[in-house]
Amino acid sequence: MVFSSLIFLCVFLPLTTILYYIIRDRRWRNGLLVAASFVFYAWGEPGYVILLLVCGLFNYFSGLTIEKSKDPNKKKAKLVLAVSLNILILVFFKYTGFLIENLNRLLGFTVSAPDIYLPVGISFYTFKAISYVVDIYNGKVPAQKSYWKFLLYISLFHHLVAGPIIRYQDIAEEIDCREETPEGVRDGVRRFIAGLAKKVILSNTAAEIAGTFLDGDLSRLSVAGAWLGILLFAFRIYFDFSGYSDMAIGLGKMFGFNYGENFNYPYISKSLTEFWRRWHISLGTFFRDYVYIPLGGNRKCLIRNLLVVWFLTGLWHGASWNFILWGLFNFVFIVIEKKLLKRILERIPGLFSRIYFVIVTLVGWSFFYFTDTARLLVFVRALFGSERRNFINPDAIILLQNNCVFIILCILASTPILKYLSGITERKIEERSKLAAGVYNIGQPFAYTVVFIVSLVFLVSQTYNPFLYFQF
Amino acid sequence: MRKIYAETLIFFAILIVFGTANLINTHKPEISEVENRALAGKPVFSAANLFNGKYFEEYNNYYNDTFILRDEMILLCRDIKDTFTVDSGYVLVVAEKDKLPQVPGDDAGLSGEESGNGSENHEETASDGGEKIVPAQQEETETGGGEKKEQAPEPGLELEDDGNMGYWLLVDGKAVELFRFNKEAIDYYVETINMYQEKLGDKVKLYSMIAPTAGEFTLMKRYRNMTDSQNEAMIYINSKLHPDITAVDVFDALSRHKDEYIYFRTDHHWTALGAYYAYEAFMNARGEAAVPLERYEMITVDNFLGSAYTKTLSKELEDNPDTIQVYLPFTKNSFTRYSGNATKEVDVIDLSYAEGKDKYLIFISSGGGTWSVIRTEVKNGKKLLVMKDSFGNAIAPFFLPHYEEIYIIDSRFYSTAHTGMSIPQFIEHHGIQEVVFVHYMEDVNWAEFMQTVRNLLFEDENTQ
Repeated sequence: MVFSSLIFLCVFLPLTTILYYIIRDRRWRNGLLVAASFVFYAWGEPGYVILLLVCGLFNYFSGLTIEKSKDPNKKKAKLVLAVSLNILILVFFKYTGFLIENLNRLLGFTVSAPDIYLPVGISFYTFKAISYVVDIYNGKVPAQKSYWKFLLYISLFHHLVAGPIIRYQDIAEEIDCREETPEGVRDGVRRFIAGLAKKVILSNTAAEIAGTFLDGDLSRLSVAGAWLGILLFAFRIYFDFSGYSDMAIGLGKMFGFNYGENFNYPYISKSLTEFWRRWHISLGTFFRDYVYIPLGGNRKCLIRNLLVVWFLTGLWHGASWNFILWGLFNFVFIVIEKKLLKRILERIPGLFSRIYFVIVTLVGWSFFYFTDTARLLVFVRALFGSERRNFINPDAIILLQNNCVFIILCILASTPILKYLSGITERKIEERSKLAAGVYNIGQPFAYTVVFIVSLVFLVSQTYNPFLYFQF
Repeated sequence: MRKIYAETLIFFAILIVFGTANLINTHKPEISEVENRALAGKPVFSAANLFNGKYFEEYNNYYNDTFILRDEMILLCRDIKDTFTVDSGYVLVVAEKDKLPQVPGDDAGLSGEESGNGSENHEETASDGGEKIVPAQQEETETGGGEKKEQAPEPGLELEDDGNMGYWLLVDGKAVELFRFNKEAIDYYVETINMYQEKLGDKVKLYSMIAPTAGEFTLMKRYRNMTDSQNEAMIYINSKLHPDITAVDVFDALSRHKDEYIYFRTDHHWTALGAYYAYEAFMNARGEAAVPLERYEMITVDNFLGSAYTKTLSKELEDNPDTIQVYLPFTKNSFTRYSGNATKEVDVIDLSYAEGKDKYLIFISSGGGTWSVIRTEVKNGKKLLVMKDSFGNAIAPFFLPHYEEIYIIDSRFYSTAHTGMSIPQFIEHHGIQEVVFVHYMEDVNWAEFMQTVRNLLFEDENTQ
């Protein structure tokens, strides 16, 4: 199941929430969340429920036995085994086809790849499991003694299929003693609505327009069309991904969990380095804490460490070369920034560093978008005006005109302007009249209601699927 | 809970209201008129379906398709989007192109090997299974069946790209599809028609009639080169056709009347009037006099919102629907349609379709099944085969006064498995002397479509 589906919204969520608040007992509430999470997972991946259970079981025992181990060598061996098994599961289900395909190409074999269907969320829950066993090994957090509670961590539907990659230590306490407050539920609802709107209104619309430029005949694309297309894709991926994180965080709050932020307005960055501190934070910190620092961080073999991290970051996003290329593209620019540009970017006016950032990021997103390397190359060359391309053509002009309000909306939604404005309003209200407070207190629920209804309308409308059977 | 805030209350109230309404709504719609498709039905539960995930997937489709107030919400969404769309006189809408229907009972056409000239339309894209094809039943049309794209968006990072796109421009209250010349596909058309000529030899006279789309005659003041010239494409085609094939000059005929109501505004087809001018050109090419239009009694059918409306859902089109002018044939005839092994007597002009959404189906009763034949009172021994797409529907009735038998075949629905005959065998079997290929430019420019025509050259469709 996904959050932005009618069945989740109209059946699963209200049922789970109502039952949850009818039940008073903490243990039963946790039990309900586990059961609901498995229904949630089974709805999309009935066959892989067992995988999730097994993955949970074996990491649960790994945690216990690593903690109990006195002998440091044995302890380490157990950790290595546990981490390897998680990686093996991930590799098997996500990368087998890719590996075989490349081995075939390299060695001239013709082994046919087994047809393995990627289990939804596997990239997220195996990473959660790895962070868990490593943290136990390092003594950062005691192992969970109850299998069910561990299962609650690993499978909780809030962050099961699309992250964030929550660390066990961040919610260990909340499993047993969290406080569900009316304010928390309200904030959760607000956050969820914001995320839903990002996904359903902004991301899906941006995807539609981006496709106009990126999915068509690239030889007809104008330079402006190429930039416009990839810009819209940048919005699409940001609102999609951060929208999911918002919804996850919002759901957490509805049930008394507090998850860390996963996105922090990445597009206001002035460098790629800064971008990666603001984008998919739970993934960035995962690679920092479990790959980069163990490898020696910036103290030894900096370049090698960065290369490994960025190679893996790229690969994690998908079993395809373009993602690896995208990771390496980031690696190159991060290194250049570290060694060379950092001082320059800090000194020049913000406008120039932002222009630099936007260009680099957008070119980077082309690597992410085009899984077909041939098309990727044509596109990147189109960005820079190859083959005497027109600067702009009528398609691009008309689409830009038609959608200029939408694009401005996307730009505004990528900045903290709304947060800033509501912060100001709140401060003013504290100072002054009760009337203003009243208006604000009515205005805000009203705005959220409107946004929510519009999101629902968009969601329903996206099932519109005309079938023109007569080539009509 | 001690207290419930307004947002919390409203949020859950809306969800519960919709959830309950869907639960107790027993009159679930089965057909979507505006989408022209059967809606997903409640899936049948079985252990196998449960474990391979199909049951849930189908249930999602069913839930989405039968969601309460769905049609109203689709139009409301359209209105919201319209509010934010800046209309500079031109609105560009990009919609997925149509897919070829699947003929039930055999897998005609597309399962055959690609003949090399792959068109852009079905470029293989390497996405991580973001798109699945689920066959859906199309109950209300006899030849139906089709493909349906799964809607459920995947979370996060899974992306799908789809190269199969059509560009529709809304301008001056009408919708026109922009033409993108594709040399490979055009060459494929020429090759296909030439193959027919070579196979049939000089016993049968072949005509190639290509209908341009409305875009060719729409003046786009501000932007030239928005759409490629269909006339140039036609000149290119004619220069490459086998010399024995007669190319019917439809372009000039339509061009002379371009200010008349020759194309629908809300549909991609020509009107019967446009088809009449094409018929005139065809008669010119044959050296026979055309029947003057005044001979026909004309009736009109109002409120036609066609394919372009369905694709774009444009409010402007909706407020300004088309009128269909129907010219009633005066030639006595009987029209027999063969669908699979069943036969049925139908009408050349069937006004019962005027009640439904697809009013264009009035012309030759939706097109003609596996194949169909019109036998007329004109006992001149002349027999014509119309190899057509839907553009042929509006023109076919005008052929009646000139032929004793008119055979109608749509390559998408013809099946050698049912008749046991390839088209050349069919032509020989029925003693047909003339064949006219009536296709519109978008199909000519679509190798996947023309492949269905080429496949019928051979008895075993899948050998080529």
